[in-house]
Amino acid sequence: MLRKILIANRGEIAVRVIRAAHELGIEAVAIFSEADREALHVRNADEAYCVGPGPVARSYLNIPNIVSAALISGADAIHPGYGFLAENARFADICADHGLTFIGPTPDVIQKMGDKATARAIMHDAKVPTTPGTGILNSVAEATAAARKIGYPVMLKATAGGGGKGMRAVRGPAELEHAFATAQAEAEANFKDGRLYLEKLLDRPRHIEVQIVGDTFGNVVHVGERDCSMQKPSHQKLIEEAPAPALSKGVRSRLHDVAIAAGRAVKYTSAGTLEFLLSGDDVFFMEMNTRIQVEHPVTEVVYGVDLVREQIRVASGEKLSFGQRDLVARGHAIECRINAEEPAQNFAPAAGTLSEATLPGGYGIRVDSHAYAGLQIPPYYDSLLAKVVAHGSTRHEAIVRMECALRETHIAGVNTTVDLCLAVMRDEGFRAGGVPIDYLPNFAAAVAATGS
Amino acid sequence: MNWDQTLERIRRAAEFCVEAGLLRFRIEQDDLEIEVRRIARPVRPPAISAGVAVPANGVSTSNGAVAHDEPAHAVLKAEFVGIVRLSRPAVAEGAVIAEDRELAYVESLGIRNPIRSHRPGRVLAVYVNDGEPVEFGQALFAIEEV
Repeated sequence: MLRKILIANRGEIAVRVIRAAHELGIEAVAIFSEADREALHVRNADEAYCVGPGPVARSYLNIPNIVSAALISGADAIHPGYGFLAENARFADICADHGLTFIGPTPDVIQKMGDKATARAIMHDAKVPTTPGTGILNSVAEATAAARKIGYPVMLKATAGGGGKGMRAVRGPAELEHAFATAQAEAEANFKDGRLYLEKLLDRPRHIEVQIVGDTFGNVVHVGERDCSMQKPSHQKLIEEAPAPALSKGVRSRLHDVAIAAGRAVKYTSAGTLEFLLSGDDVFFMEMNTRIQVEHPVTEVVYGVDLVREQIRVASGEKLSFGQRDLVARGHAIECRINAEEPAQNFAPAAGTLSEATLPGGYGIRVDSHAYAGLQIPPYYDSLLAKVVAHGSTRHEAIVRMECALRETHIAGVNTTVDLCLAVMRDEGFRAGGVPIDYLPNFAAAVAATGS
Repeated sequence: MNWDQTLERIRRAAEFCVEAGLLRFRIEQDDLEIEVRRIARPVRPPAISAGVAVPANGVSTSNGAVAHDEPAHAVLKAEFVGIVRLSRPAVAEGAVIAEDRELAYVESLGIRNPIRSHRPGRVLAVYVNDGEPVEFGQALFAIEEV
């Protein structure tokens, strides 16, 4: 088993990983920026190293200082959390070069899955359904021909893309040339890679993803699916749940089967997620996230497993501590992300000092957070403050429990998503289950318009 | 003034010195003159602002006495996380150094990152020991302009 882990992250996920390490008797080393000196992960770790100033490029993405901190602290592994360096194959390679275990899949798998066109090709070969689309397009002419064949509307996407950057919906041939140029420029600017491909744009799909875990002995299991259709206009998720509601048995087991096939195809050796779009009963592979995800707790409470612990065990060279048959979904879980942002102003991030941070608790409630009263929220980072997870024996029970929990959540000093999440819990459409990905932007706009 | 009172004054002067982030502090009042010099070697030295010149002119104390003007000093900090190695011959506190003198280097991933004095001066404090791990922004030396 690993002895000492450096956590190359901040915020709630750093706190979460430190917890898992300590429970395994593993020492935890934190890194922090000058803006995070008072952060909770720094306090909870056994030791901590400042790696740079506030801006992420010079601190949480400062590979030499992070690797050096791992080496001088005597850590034998690095857990990247999510975001930052989590899906950076070069970073995983550098860790290996310095004798450090990267807690995640192999650099090769990160590389392949990080390139969306390559990932689609691999999934296609593994008989995982992908949205009708193309490989890399070399010209507008190629794109025009492909779009005519696939049928409008289509989505132009950057192969190196993510976070909605380098993506353009194209409704008809007249829009294509301009969309191609702007998406290419945006991808070039953001990812230094302007290569594009094209996909059929689905009509109001749902976002369903499947959690998988693999080990180095060739075992790959799925840990069920999550419905993450409640997304902000930026496609960032706000509310997630497990299992996905309003899903037929057939579709559910097809999702699980293709996720396992995909994991086996790339010999996956950590926790990872396959994201799918669901249109009617048709399932299409969207992308694979080769990291632990923000919303992993809903899966954990429903299946009673600790996914971060499993990542650490697998990275230590141990077998998965459960087989597929041991994994049984119990009840229903919902997660609400409490972000320091203003939903009425297109979810603009809010900076400031938390004058109050009273978080809920009680039976069936789990809170993953780095917030405390007095915390100054630096302007440089993600706005996530807390994840409130409600577990119930039924979906209805989980919703009611979440509603009660959000009413007990008192955060002052910055605007948050608490009230919006509360409004969603009381919304008929959400309660019915199975909303598409454009539901929340419309709902949030309606809530903002009524001023409630 | 008895010895206990004198001790108490020294103690308070020392506390003030730490609170105000000063490295040297002198107070004259009545027939008593107290000078406190701090040669700090904390694991994480206090964040002495910005790193360039920190003048500490005319700081008022609670009993109305005025601290004497201090010459400006510069704090050299680590930019890299690594192991600090004092360059030989190692400089001692009080040593007068030339401009651009390599005082130490921070070894990070096998690369030597030198720490040099920007201007000639006198070493006011050496905050680190040879072979110690250092983090980003950690104070290594305080150099007083001469």
